[in-house]
Amino acid sequence: MKYSELQCTSNFSFLRGASHPEELVEQAASYGYRAIGITDRNTLAGIVRAHLAARTLGIQFIPACRLDLQDGPSLLAYPTNVAGYAQLSGLLTTGNLRAEKGKCHLYKADVYHQLRDIRLIVVPPTVLNGQFEFDQTFEKQTAVYHDVFGDRLYLAASRRYLGDDAKQLFRLSQLSSRLGIPMVATNDVHYHEPDRRPLQDILTCIREKCTIQNAGFRLHQNAERFLKSANEMKRLFHTYPEAIRNTQEIAEACQFNLDMLKYEYPEEITTEGRTTLEELTMLVWKGAHERFGDHITEKTKNAILHELKFIREMNYAAYFLTVYDIVRYAREQKILCQGRGSAANSTICYCLGITSVDPSKFDLLFERFISSARNEPPDIDVDFEHERREEVIQYIYQKYGRDRAAIVATVTQERQRGSIRDVGKAMGLSIDTIQRISSSVWEFTEEWFEGKRLTEQGLNPDDKLLRKTLQITQQLMGFPRQLGQHTGGFVITRGKLSDLCPVMNARMEDRTCIEWNKDDIDAIGFLKIDVLALGMLTCIRKAFDLAKQHYGLDLTLANIPQDDPLVYDMICHADTIGVFQIESRAQQSMLPRLKPRNFYDLVIEVAIVRPGPIQGDMVHPYLRRRNGEEKVEYPSKELKEILGRTLGIPLFQEQAMKIAIVAAGFTPNEADELRRSMATFKAQGMVTKFEKKLIDGMMERGYQREYAQRVFKQLEGFGSYGFPESHAASFALLVYVSSWIKYYYPDVFACALLNSMPMGFYQPAQIVIDARKHGVEVHPVDVNHSDWDNTLEEKSGSFHVLRLGFRQVKGLRAEDMQLLISARANKYSNIVDMREAGISQSVLEKLADADAFNSMGMDRRMALWEISTGNDHPAGLFAGKIPGPSSEENISLPLMRKSEHVVQDYAAMSLSLKAHPVQFVREKLEQLHILSTDDLKKHRNGDLVKVAGLVLVRQRPGTAAGICFITIEDETGCANLVVFENLFDQYRKEILQSRLLMVEGKLQVEGEVIHVIVQRCFDMTRLLRRLTEVINDELPILTLARADETSIPAHAQEDIFHKGRNFR
Amino acid sequence: MARRFVSIWFRHLKTDWFSIRQPLLFKIPFVLSVSDHGRKIITDVNEQALNLGIEPGMAVADARAIFPSLEVLDDDPLLSEKLLKAIAEWCIRYTNIVAIDPPDGIMMDVTGSAHLWGGEEKYIADIHLRLKNRGYDVRATIADSIGTAWAMAHYGGFTTIVENGKQMEALLSLPPSALRLDINVTDRLHKLGLNQIRNFISIPRAALKRRFGKELILKLDQALGNEDEPLNPVQPIEPWRERLPCLEPIVTSTGIEIALQRLLHTICHRMQQEGMGIRKAVFTGFRADGKLEKIEIGTHRASLNAGHLYKLFEDKISTIEPGPGIDLFMIEALKAEKISPHQEKLWDMICGLEDPGLSELMDRLTNRFGYTPVRRFLPSEHYLPEKSFKESVSLDETSDTPWLNGRPRPLQILSRPERIEVTAPIPDYPPMLFRYLGKLHKIKKADGPERIEQEWWLQDGPHRDYYSVEDEEGQRYWLFRSGHYMENEKPKWFIHGFFA
Repeated sequence: MKYSELQCTSNFSFLRGASHPEELVEQAASYGYRAIGITDRNTLAGIVRAHLAARTLGIQFIPACRLDLQDGPSLLAYPTNVAGYAQLSGLLTTGNLRAEKGKCHLYKADVYHQLRDIRLIVVPPTVLNGQFEFDQTFEKQTAVYHDVFGDRLYLAASRRYLGDDAKQLFRLSQLSSRLGIPMVATNDVHYHEPDRRPLQDILTCIREKCTIQNAGFRLHQNAERFLKSANEMKRLFHTYPEAIRNTQEIAEACQFNLDMLKYEYPEEITTEGRTTLEELTMLVWKGAHERFGDHITEKTKNAILHELKFIREMNYAAYFLTVYDIVRYAREQKILCQGRGSAANSTICYCLGITSVDPSKFDLLFERFISSARNEPPDIDVDFEHERREEVIQYIYQKYGRDRAAIVATVTQERQRGSIRDVGKAMGLSIDTIQRISSSVWEFTEEWFEGKRLTEQGLNPDDKLLRKTLQITQQLMGFPRQLGQHTGGFVITRGKLSDLCPVMNARMEDRTCIEWNKDDIDAIGFLKIDVLALGMLTCIRKAFDLAKQHYGLDLTLANIPQDDPLVYDMICHADTIGVFQIESRAQQSMLPRLKPRNFYDLVIEVAIVRPGPIQGDMVHPYLRRRNGEEKVEYPSKELKEILGRTLGIPLFQEQAMKIAIVAAGFTPNEADELRRSMATFKAQGMVTKFEKKLIDGMMERGYQREYAQRVFKQLEGFGSYGFPESHAASFALLVYVSSWIKYYYPDVFACALLNSMPMGFYQPAQIVIDARKHGVEVHPVDVNHSDWDNTLEEKSGSFHVLRLGFRQVKGLRAEDMQLLISARANKYSNIVDMREAGISQSVLEKLADADAFNSMGMDRRMALWEISTGNDHPAGLFAGKIPGPSSEENISLPLMRKSEHVVQDYAAMSLSLKAHPVQFVREKLEQLHILSTDDLKKHRNGDLVKVAGLVLVRQRPGTAAGICFITIEDETGCANLVVFENLFDQYRKEILQSRLLMVEGKLQVEGEVIHVIVQRCFDMTRLLRRLTEVINDELPILTLARADETSIPAHAQEDIFHKGRNFR
Repeated sequence: MARRFVSIWFRHLKTDWFSIRQPLLFKIPFVLSVSDHGRKIITDVNEQALNLGIEPGMAVADARAIFPSLEVLDDDPLLSEKLLKAIAEWCIRYTNIVAIDPPDGIMMDVTGSAHLWGGEEKYIADIHLRLKNRGYDVRATIADSIGTAWAMAHYGGFTTIVENGKQMEALLSLPPSALRLDINVTDRLHKLGLNQIRNFISIPRAALKRRFGKELILKLDQALGNEDEPLNPVQPIEPWRERLPCLEPIVTSTGIEIALQRLLHTICHRMQQEGMGIRKAVFTGFRADGKLEKIEIGTHRASLNAGHLYKLFEDKISTIEPGPGIDLFMIEALKAEKISPHQEKLWDMICGLEDPGLSELMDRLTNRFGYTPVRRFLPSEHYLPEKSFKESVSLDETSDTPWLNGRPRPLQILSRPERIEVTAPIPDYPPMLFRYLGKLHKIKKADGPERIEQEWWLQDGPHRDYYSVEDEEGQRYWLFRSGHYMENEKPKWFIHGFFA
């Protein structure tokens, strides 16, 4: 007599189950179960994982669900066939969509109407009442269930070891024979082995928001909720053997499994009765003629034919058409977009307009992008302008309907810090202790669990509670915590989506999601299209619009002149503030070394400054080879094919996977598993397994052990942070386009960039400074000249004048400014006019703070004096009258110094056109022999220098062994500082707190790349306060009172200068 | 006579208080914090922390980034007011009119007080010194107006005395915030370049009022002494204490009884007005020879029933030795609790715990025999039987937890389970016979097991399998086996309780 466990709660019943679905399946298989069912609460989110595990282990997996109803006893539901599964999934969809995200409201009526091809088990209460009977309502309700479901209904019997097992089973058997409902044994499993009880208790505490000490009866009183062996179950039910037998009856009736689900592409993507392939072929050739003109080269023609043949064989035409349709819509709406991903850089995608990267820049075979061995659909991500992506999303919903299109879920996992916090709290540790533990963790290592790091934090690693906390934390890490919304992965189906997977509401309005994530749908073979948002596309589109308006140019991503050496010159000099991707500090210091001269160099540039290549130690070898300092060589001929384009050094994720396949004999599937196992914590054991397999495999094929080990280390780097070539190529195009605009039209570029903020690496101040450096005249915000956006005015010199817009001013709202602009038919000549136009007092004050009244002949102080009268509300006879100008008062205010103006500019807009703040303390700095950043260029490698500036960015990348990189800025430019770890600890306070930082250190000059290796740090922020200091001060010098600085109040001072962007 | 005011500013009121209690804190940087949406926000810092650049409003995490070993203590939002009230009461030694000036100051009307200390200089110096000796870092200034005294204490450096009528001169070089203005107003003044009071004091009042509102004018006039400003002085709380002096020393127990009754009557009457009742009281007799005679009583629930309280004292009156005679009696409520209004209707029909008769009976029993024989138990949320109850200390104490019904629990539980010899089928079926205190019990009926695990966060150890069993004589017992049945180990059995 066999037993199958039919009631398992996995950790996809969030904060209830204490085992992964895979663990439950594996345990069941090791017991020799023939089948196992997982019944999470109102969700099917975990079933794909269990299904995959079961498929590998050769055990039957029954996708099932526990239905918790609002108005009746819970039911366990087991679909017997595809139709039954669709009914269950549809039922959950109904429940999900009528509730907010994360909840599912189901009623008896839903179950009665929607479930037909399904076996059901009713779950009795866990306690008996005072008469040792089940609650009357339960018995009545069960009778009704029986009337509706007939012989599809069973009664769950469990032994919980609560002292009254015998009584419960007896009552159940009475009920069973009275109503004619067969009894089924289940063990109401919550974890796969008894050792998980502490974790399950802690989950209960997290759920109930209590601590383990005061959780009391909310916990289970024993550890019996683990998966038990068939023999043990038989013993426990020896008086009711039919209950065991019935588990088999259900398992045998439920022959449905997830492989039976058939995903079909949507069909409304063809026209005029063509098949999908005919439609695609037609569109491709039409596009080819538009792209290449009438003379298509033989090579291109062959490429197209080859790709079409491949698509026909793999039956991917519908997929390409679906993507095409979305891109077509975007283009009609003038939304800029650009495809990337494995299939996006094909000739066909170029013809269809999905990408603008000319495939002739690549000499790659189509198959390299789509793995035919892994029978999974091609992957195309399309980036859209971030401000307009929602339009595209709503188009998809509207075209295919909400019942057929939905966003993929992401399963948010318990991460290290979150787990520590949750477990620590539940264990009753003080917040302080929790913080200490979590700050002792820089990275997840065994060392941490051994407690070495804890001693450093002054905690006792032998403390039992602490050890338990760490143990449980380790188990909890990697647990799913909630279902979120993928950034833009869409699933679109031909039939109803809810037949395949339950649909639920996302947190954002007007969005619906499915319960499965990317890996799940990959495994089941669903089509997914990523509709992503990219800020740079917004910027480029705005730049195109401006270029058309002011220069009469009709630019597109595809028609920008290619391979312009002047543009590459600019890039080589790292003159790339604001440019896509290559503007960061790390990129800027790479550019003069790598010296990109063509498109593919940009592809490499994009991919090389990433944690993957850096951790894998590939950057320097590549640079050496590129500069001819090291011989380019390949360990074998096969690897030359893979690594030829990158001089023998693997830089892209695809290369890493390919090496595993070619050089170590991995199957494509294994290579992919290897990548995934490296990306998650959970599979620590897997990584070791793969390491052995890879190194052994490579040595068998004649590679040196040392080389194999290096390859593995590189793969490890890629696992978590690798960047694929196919994505880098699409990004490289945007890099080139944005560089081209910056080089030829810096006015257009700066204006578009400012109007797309926030994005990128720099603050508006740096973008404005950079634009001026490139000869663009910038005019200040003015009530009579500015729009909400930054605008270009008439030409002055080579470029148009950039007029700052109201959006640069803190605290102004677009609606208020629209009112101001629309009432500006004639210029405002005084503030009274503006009041009459309906501009509110607070808006006027903000405008005065921004010094926007210059065209009325008033500086900010005079304007504010005028405006302040608005506080005086005329009463009585004068009610409703607007107070007149106050010129008659004849009061003279203290004249405002330029430095005060600059400080106020920064306070209002974080930038100033009048001067750079550091300029005002330059004299003081010179007395201290502090150089300007520009002067650094005049010094030699190894010189000791002092330099000071406003802190723009502090970074401490995980890849750089505790090194802190700081960028400072003064009136002449920027300087890059490097602080090593020991010094960082010593100067922590100065580094983190200074707005104006002065450092002493050694100059490191490498071609154009200049760094200061910091030796000492000084906080000179106090100097900045002098900018607003009150002159003619009669206060005693020694004032230790609050007013020790008689400048503007400290609370305001704090926020004026940007704190500098921080790492955490 | 010109009025004079003293403003005292505690520069680090709360952090000083913490340091006074833990002197180590004087030497290290530390901060106070509260939790706000899961983030810990700094509310106060001491001098050392301030010097590191750590300021109120920062997140603790950010401050720790600057100074990793920063000490962080929990702030109590009511603390500063509590402290100020206590200090204000203490300050009554300097004048009768003392007000608190939240969040960190004291304001006193000291008109005519200073000469008792030998002049204003000595007066202020004394305030300074005494507070400093207690551990507080303070600034204090005396002036003609509240406004000027405040301004100079906070912004005037070490100025301690503003001479009669010199407010204007004192204020001129101070920033506008010295006038206790709204932050929006001071911000605007600074933006206009009016960084010191001198910059705007001569601007026509009408022009100022138009832009900065009445408040500025009022505060200015108050500081200059042209406008009155009210103070809200603290009223010290009197202890619940009543005295009864006697013309002749009392030596008889009758006399003592009468005194006690009268005192009880008065104090109950007074406390009733304040809604308080007695939990603990002491009755003291001051003997003519200087010795004190005391008797003390306690109740299980706050009481104002003078008759009942008298009965509690009555048993102890005999212990009072009047000696040469008692010339002063005093009663004091050492512990008082709020009394709920329904308790006043004492003699309505109320049953169970609410019945005042019960609590009064318990009071009498415990006053006579001590606390041991009368005990009350409440359920406690633990599965382990020996931890599933706790003793209550007050009749008003309730438990949020219900008694664990639905599980078999014996009426009598042994304080320690006792080892027994058991014969039982394996692995976990109920036992067949057991031997307890030398007697063999044959089990006729049994139920179980109920499996209860250890509280793993406190201790490890085997679980218990509990069985309720009935022997031939119809006696029922609660037995358990410790741990699983093991093949090569004799299982350990215990008896833990008796059913009826």
